[in-house]
Amino acid sequence: MSRVSSRASGTSTKRLAEDGDICPVCKSSRYLNPNMRFLVNPECYHRMCESCVDRIFSHGPAPCPIAGCKRTLRKARFRSQTFEDLKVEREVDIRRRVARVMNKTESDFETLADYNNYLETVETVTWNLILKIDLEATERRLRLWEEAQKAELESLYSSASRRVLSTADQDLQSDTQRVILKKSGVQRKTVSHSSSAADTPEPTAAGNADTGFRFHGLKKRVAPEPEKPFDPYGGWSLEPQYYVVQPDYDVDFITGAKTDIHHLAGGYDLRDFYSRALCEAFSGFGVFVQDEIIARENGVVERVRTETQAAASVTVGVRDVNMDDVF
Amino acid sequence: MKLTEDDLYRASTQFKHWSFTPSQLAAQRQKTNIQASERVKAAVARQRAQRAKHFDTASASESERNGTPVPTDRQVDCLTVAEEKKLVDTFCEKAIDLGGFFKFPIEVTATGIQFLRRFYLFNSPMTYEPQTISRSAMFVANKTEGHHLTLEKYAAGFPKATTEQVLAPEYLIVQALRFNFDIRHPFRALKGGHLDMIEMARGNITPLPSNPEPALDIHSSMLKLPRKPNGPETNMTVNDLEKRITDAYSHASHILKTAALLTDAYFLYTPSQIWLSAHLLADEPLTLFYLSAKLPSSSPNYPKILATLRSCADLLSSHHSFSSPTTTPAEKQARDKKEKEEVQALIKKLRHCRDPDKMDLVKLNQAQKRDAVDAGGLEESKAKRRKLEREGYQKEADDFWGPELPRRENGAKAG
Ligand SMILES: [Zn+2]
Ligand SMILES: [Zn+2]
Repeated sequence: MSRVSSRASGTSTKRLAEDGDICPVCKSSRYLNPNMRFLVNPECYHRMCESCVDRIFSHGPAPCPIAGCKRTLRKARFRSQTFEDLKVEREVDIRRRVARVMNKTESDFETLADYNNYLETVETVTWNLILKIDLEATERRLRLWEEAQKAELESLYSSASRRVLSTADQDLQSDTQRVILKKSGVQRKTVSHSSSAADTPEPTAAGNADTGFRFHGLKKRVAPEPEKPFDPYGGWSLEPQYYVVQPDYDVDFITGAKTDIHHLAGGYDLRDFYSRALCEAFSGFGVFVQDEIIARENGVVERVRTETQAAASVTVGVRDVNMDDVF
Repeated sequence: MKLTEDDLYRASTQFKHWSFTPSQLAAQRQKTNIQASERVKAAVARQRAQRAKHFDTASASESERNGTPVPTDRQVDCLTVAEEKKLVDTFCEKAIDLGGFFKFPIEVTATGIQFLRRFYLFNSPMTYEPQTISRSAMFVANKTEGHHLTLEKYAAGFPKATTEQVLAPEYLIVQALRFNFDIRHPFRALKGGHLDMIEMARGNITPLPSNPEPALDIHSSMLKLPRKPNGPETNMTVNDLEKRITDAYSHASHILKTAALLTDAYFLYTPSQIWLSAHLLADEPLTLFYLSAKLPSSSPNYPKILATLRSCADLLSSHHSFSSPTTTPAEKQARDKKEKEEVQALIKKLRHCRDPDKMDLVKLNQAQKRDAVDAGGLEESKAKRRKLEREGYQKEADDFWGPELPRRENGAKAG
């Protein structure tokens, strides 16, 4: 409205200032300085040119030079505006800030209705901030909520990591118990019970504290499952039937390797060679190729049959003509 | 979840796809031979017909005038299964020399030889010439065994072979191997067994759960092992025994590097059985003793394993490269000479029954590639089939993804 009227009245300086071509602080205009840039500070959203910002705020925080605005501004927070309308700019900033703190998703709630109620609250908070209604109280609640969330996450993660440690501990403990004591399982059970109970503390007393907001149907945060140590063999292990690997062997052809720097530098461990060689020595010792293949062909061994069906069709040579067709 | 050593072997492609019963092996060889012979005969007949046609138009009148009919070539004399096998065996032997010439580790040579044997189980020497194939198979083996060697250097090792000639049959070989590159050799297994035996001889082995005989008992009865089967008990020192084990090791190792590679042992037995059989040939009482320490002779599997080992040992010792202490040099020489003559005759025979379609692998390989320079190299029917296949794939893709979007002619129209 005002814009239209000002244009109609023809006050050129005012129009220029509104269009952003004259700095309200130093009155220099883009007409004289085509490279002029305007910056705003999200504290009060007053515009001024870059050189004014440099001049006024280079030596530390200073009050806003615009008449009637006494806010203290810092140079670091000045930025060029994204939206032409500074109201929009401000609203976007506020929304961004609220969204960072109030970041629940639908899956965090029991029902959709609860989630919608939550969204309603978030929107109310946002508009309170935008329209500066109950500003103090709203800011306080928001801050409390943020702190509560942070505290909750921290306690969650620290307990999760503690649990990882303690399970490793427990494994070790129970292992030694199994090996050394070989006593009743009951005793061990009670031990692990008590330790696991001690490991998972009750969610802290945050339940009673003021968290700023209280939402109905908000699920309790669950700590993510601790990552299991990686097992390249997927739970399988080798249980040799025919040999026991000795810690060391002394035979001509390996004495060289034992002291050879070229072997040792790369982290080569002769024990790997021992176990591999011994495993190979008996790998297939009790496999009777003839019997097993006949069994496989006849489908007597059901387990083997399904898995080797494809293999069998290859070995029988059904696809031979195709295979030959490279050329 | 527990696995035994045997389960590990059962999981290998060598067991899954490349282990056979003797009758399966024979049947497969028979089948390959018949297929190849038919192809050779058909191809030769076609060639002759072509030549005859050419000949007819040129000199039909002449032959008519002379009253002599166009000479009909005699039937192609194809190789038999046994002859094919002999040829392949010979080239496997040559591959050992080849490996020696290039100073390849034994694993590389051994893998190359097994590639060759596997290849010729489904292909005939009449179709693909063994010399070319063995050259390439050896190169593939170098790569699969991690023994790196540049192609140029390798090709330069042959008096007349280009890099293209080495590479040309490569894909063919790899495909015939069904992309199974893993060959389980008995070499490391033998080393493992040797380590085990030496420690056993010294009396510091941990008893097996299944056979809890104390190490010292094993040790003391091992020192009394007879030299020969059913021989008198001896009384060795530990050093004597160690020397005996080491001798057996080197003898067995020699067998593994020759006879085991040159027979069907890899197809019929497992690496564990192969090294034990070689060891059995090298020192029977020692090996039997070792076996009984691993598997009590009361076990139901014991006679079965022993029978398997004995039959494998028979196979290994049947090879002409095998020399037991009883064979005299003269005997061996005579055997080798006879072998050589037979092979010479076979190679000569092969020259007359090669598949004419598969002579020039380099050219075929080039033609097979999509951007073949020589378009004539690809038969017309094949080119046509390829085109149809390509269109088929395109159609399949269209069915799945939907056809290509029609190009919009003008943005303004849509707006
Ligand atoms: Zn200014
Ligand atoms: Zn201001």
